Amino acid sequence: MFLEPDEVKKRIEKIREEIPRSVFSELEEELSKVEVTEEELNKIIEEIKRRYDYSLVEPGEAVGIVAAQSMGEPSTQMTMRTFHYAGVAELNVTLGLPRIIEIVDARRVPSTPTMTIYLKEDIAEDREKAKGIAKKIESVTVDDVIKRAEMDLIDSKVTLILDEYELKRREITLEEIVEKLTPIKGVEVEYNENQISLKVPNPSMKELRKVATRARGQYLRGIKDIQRVVMRKEGKEYVIYTEGSNLKEVLKIDGVDITRTKTNDILEIHKVLGVEAARNAIINEALDTLEEQGLMVDIRHLMLIADMMTVDGEVKAIGRHGVSGEKASVLARAAFEITVDHLLKAGIKGEVEELRGIVENVIVGRPVRLGTGMVELKMRRELEEKREEA
Amino acid sequence: MLKLTKFEKARIIGARALQLSMGAPPLIKVTGDEVTPIHIAIKELEMGVIPITVKRKMPEKMELGGE
Repeated sequence: MFLEPDEVKKRIEKIREEIPRSVFSELEEELSKVEVTEEELNKIIEEIKRRYDYSLVEPGEAVGIVAAQSMGEPSTQMTMRTFHYAGVAELNVTLGLPRIIEIVDARRVPSTPTMTIYLKEDIAEDREKAKGIAKKIESVTVDDVIKRAEMDLIDSKVTLILDEYELKRREITLEEIVEKLTPIKGVEVEYNENQISLKVPNPSMKELRKVATRARGQYLRGIKDIQRVVMRKEGKEYVIYTEGSNLKEVLKIDGVDITRTKTNDILEIHKVLGVEAARNAIINEALDTLEEQGLMVDIRHLMLIADMMTVDGEVKAIGRHGVSGEKASVLARAAFEITVDHLLKAGIKGEVEELRGIVENVIVGRPVRLGTGMVELKMRRELEEKREEA
Repeated sequence: MLKLTKFEKARIIGARALQLSMGAPPLIKVTGDEVTPIHIAIKELEMGVIPITVKRKMPEKMELGGE
């Protein structure tokens, strides 16, 4: 009584166009594992179609408001605890409500930029190679490897006392530092075992200070803006987490898997990889933050928000300086904030109100073009004609 | 017959119920338990006898690059 596999295939082929591809392939896979009768198959197909239709959004639905509520309500339940150790040892990442606000506001720089760097397959499982890449990424300045810097006004020199432990740990030699410090203008470099002296020609406190800060800030190795690196084993492979973010430079490093490596700085993603990537980053960051707090929000709400933020090619914030503040309608803008200013400016410019949106129509007192309000009724002629014939 | 959205259904039922409440003759046989205009309108819609449909518009083309 069971249907042949070929027959099953033929039957489900008919609904291929009616349901999403992912659902179809899942159905195909599941059906290949079991035997079904004709009656069962029909029931399955019918149920799938019914549920898919049920999940669709009907034209006229106020999706924007629903999205705002769906993200707003869970936000009220989030703990205010800003800092959280996100699984990784001692790495500090902003999460929870502050992070959500950060995403939605499209801040220039997140308060805790971090990167997750994946390695190419062939080296991902090799501890030594992963360590080598981590070393290349972590930025080291002179300040990181000295115990202290002393200013000597009498001999007019700055003495850097090196921290041997740090030098050993980071595998940096004295010569390396000297080499990096030599190009500093007008300075004579002398060194012995664990000291480097920078002789300044004209002795003044100001000059000494300048040289000292300049020397301490000198990069020795690594990528700018990446202050710390933590390596962690995830499954079989090693993943590098960083404090600080510099996507462009990290992607240039050999051995980094550029398809999976990511940063939590959305604007940086926009700059390096483009808007579409930024849109996806917004969705993923928001979803991850909400999920970490144990809140479930349907991804479609977040997609809508991300779409609104990125439609015109750049990442805009939700709010005064972004989406709400740049609405086309004067009345909609006036309803949002600083009413008088908007109306006055619109008057001076001679703006025209088209009354297309929701807010404008509410203000004016017309039915809004949403839900039942956007349905236009019409007489059904064919019924009348039928009656006349009869 | 074309499938109506929930909003279209609501709108049609509303319009028809208004007609009924103002004295329009029902297009179906009214039995005991469906006495209100709204009940009658719903039944009429289910049976497809209401002489009202919807005009569906494609979204207007918005001009790009507006302020």
